[in-house]
Amino acid sequence: MRFLIFAACIWTIAGPAGAQDFSANITSSIEGYIRPAADGFASAADDLPPAIDAVCAETTAETKAVFAKKYGDAVTAFAKISFLRYGPLLEDDRLNRLAFMPDPRGIAQRQIRKILATKDETATDAAALKDKSVAVQGLTALQLIAFDKDGEVALGDPGKTRDFICGYAKAIAVNVAQVADDVAAAWDDPDGYSSVLLSPGSKNDHVRTSKDAMEVIFNALVTGLVIAKDQDVLPALGKGPDSAKPNRVPFSRSGNGIAYVGAELKGIEDALRVAGFEPVLDEEYAWIPDSIYFEFGNAQNLLAGIAPPIRQSIEDGDTYNKLKVLTLTINSLRDTMAGELAGALSLSGGFNALDGD
Amino acid sequence: MRWMATDRVAISRRALLAGLGGIAALSAGHFSAFAGGAALLEESALDYPLFASARREADGSYGIAIIDDAGQELARVALPGRGHGIAVSPDGRRFMAFARRPGTFALLIDPFERTEPQVLTSIEGRHFYGHGCFSPDGRLVYAVENDYDAVRGVLGVYDVSGRQIRRIGEIETGGIGPHDILLAEGGKVLVVANGGIETHPSRPREKLNLDTMQPSVVFLDRERGDLLAQHSLSQNLHQLSLRHMALDGQGKVWVGGQFEGDKSLSPPLVAHMTRDSGPTLTEVPSALASGLQSYIGSVVVNASGDVIATSAPRGGQVLFWAAETGAFLGADQVVDGCGLAPLDASGFLISDGTGGLRYAEDPQSLPEILARPPGISWDNHMVTL
Repeated sequence: MRFLIFAACIWTIAGPAGAQDFSANITSSIEGYIRPAADGFASAADDLPPAIDAVCAETTAETKAVFAKKYGDAVTAFAKISFLRYGPLLEDDRLNRLAFMPDPRGIAQRQIRKILATKDETATDAAALKDKSVAVQGLTALQLIAFDKDGEVALGDPGKTRDFICGYAKAIAVNVAQVADDVAAAWDDPDGYSSVLLSPGSKNDHVRTSKDAMEVIFNALVTGLVIAKDQDVLPALGKGPDSAKPNRVPFSRSGNGIAYVGAELKGIEDALRVAGFEPVLDEEYAWIPDSIYFEFGNAQNLLAGIAPPIRQSIEDGDTYNKLKVLTLTINSLRDTMAGELAGALSLSGGFNALDGD
Repeated sequence: MRWMATDRVAISRRALLAGLGGIAALSAGHFSAFAGGAALLEESALDYPLFASARREADGSYGIAIIDDAGQELARVALPGRGHGIAVSPDGRRFMAFARRPGTFALLIDPFERTEPQVLTSIEGRHFYGHGCFSPDGRLVYAVENDYDAVRGVLGVYDVSGRQIRRIGEIETGGIGPHDILLAEGGKVLVVANGGIETHPSRPREKLNLDTMQPSVVFLDRERGDLLAQHSLSQNLHQLSLRHMALDGQGKVWVGGQFEGDKSLSPPLVAHMTRDSGPTLTEVPSALASGLQSYIGSVVVNASGDVIATSAPRGGQVLFWAAETGAFLGADQVVDGCGLAPLDASGFLISDGTGGLRYAEDPQSLPEILARPPGISWDNHMVTL
């Protein structure tokens, strides 16, 4: 708490006269959302290695079910930090190492095929794996080797590469747990990236004011919505219900596609709520947050009406239409956040749209 | 070899780290040779399509990145400030990256050679406008510049064939605020879009003559500098700043504008013309037009020369046009999308401010998101090397 009070003094002195002071919103964002979400992912990721050990030691329906559950938990916990595309998640290429997305050309699949074909031993050692291609060492790679196309756990199934895949899966899990721990530790470090946002101007030439710091956090939420719509849902719709491509929803192979998108949107909503912009909005803009939360609610209702796995339920026309409405809902959320809310807070958004040339 | 893409990233990043040491010193005002002495790219990189673009890095600094056709990063060069356009040599082996206006730096980069970038600074009383082009033989670079005290646009002519870049002359552009430039008619003619807007570095991004601005597209004899033709829009569109251009397969010049007038209007923003015939305005369906916020970012033609793409970053749209008829073909929604480059025979690579890189195969299909390097904001323009 002492640190906080001290930091608060610095903001008061450093804040440019007349400019909006977002320090309270930034503190809430870090303490109330980012750190707990990073800790949550670290904790979920730590459960992966023992679950893999259990499947590989004794492959039963039970051990498989536990692994599938733990994997799903790690995926949804990852979804809740996936949009924090700044600071700790970018250092050491951590975000790409945790999940290589998007990958429409199947780069990971091809690289993994080569690893399996040659039984590349460096893939079974987490310390060596982390220096290999980012595409073969994260949750997306684990999904490709641990689940079959029908969404069933294939880990531990008999075959020539069984033990190799077990070793490789374990190395991925250890690597993911390590990266997740590093992300949580980096956010917890009071002298780490938190201080770039909490004491703008002191650590980073490009984050000089509390407005700059707020834009880092806020614009990432908007980008998160762009990703949720354009990258996670829209590609699955194809040109129509007959040519839908549900396998394009991230983590749909393991049956976690809808859960991932739901957790991603819930995370963005929670991060926005925790930032607590209500007190800094003028009265005429007071309607904006509630309108945004209402739309987030609509998005969750749509997702709740879709039965997983999406690879099967998309054949039902109603599911297709729900996903289509979901893209419109996310679009409207993005418009309200990047337009009305950013405008009301005097935050700058789009890089090219802002002051192009 | 495409499956090796991410491996190549790791390799070239290592190679590049050596390079970054040298170029990072730039902003400190002194230059040193590349520490590792390695080239940015290996010759084998020429086996697949390469693209370059200015961008804002995740830490807020600026740079140029070279990527492949799967959107994977191969190399990176730090810039001392925000970049803008890139001029590519005819053989695709070197390029010059310009500062965004009113910046005063440009970097000549030889990605396949073991040489550090050469840094060019605009002469006293000038700044760059962000674009330039090479001569057909690759020996000269023409850079659009602001002679701000005289309120006139010029092309600085630079000899880039030697060990040191030399400014060997200049050509008047016949207007204010020259922006994009391209080579036409087999390299004999330079086409320049004079945006028409007066600016002065003492008031960095302020527009000083919006009531009287007179944008134009000029055709200049490349060797003699003579003004061969000058086209303007009708007087009611004198506030449509003509900025970015592309040359289609039939030699028509396509230009995109940015309207500085009444924000409630939705004037036409894209026109095409030749040296001999003045501008023909295109029409955007009215449902789309009002959302574009009267602003076109990039104008680029596909490899087969029959489709023109124009980005509208403020409206979050990329519009496609038929070169032959001038007809509107369709649009893709791309939030903060601006950079465009031809990819494959008929498609485009589209970059955006949220890091996205998309492949638009044709105007009808949904563009495929190839990659989205986290924290990156791709800047206004992208080029094919």
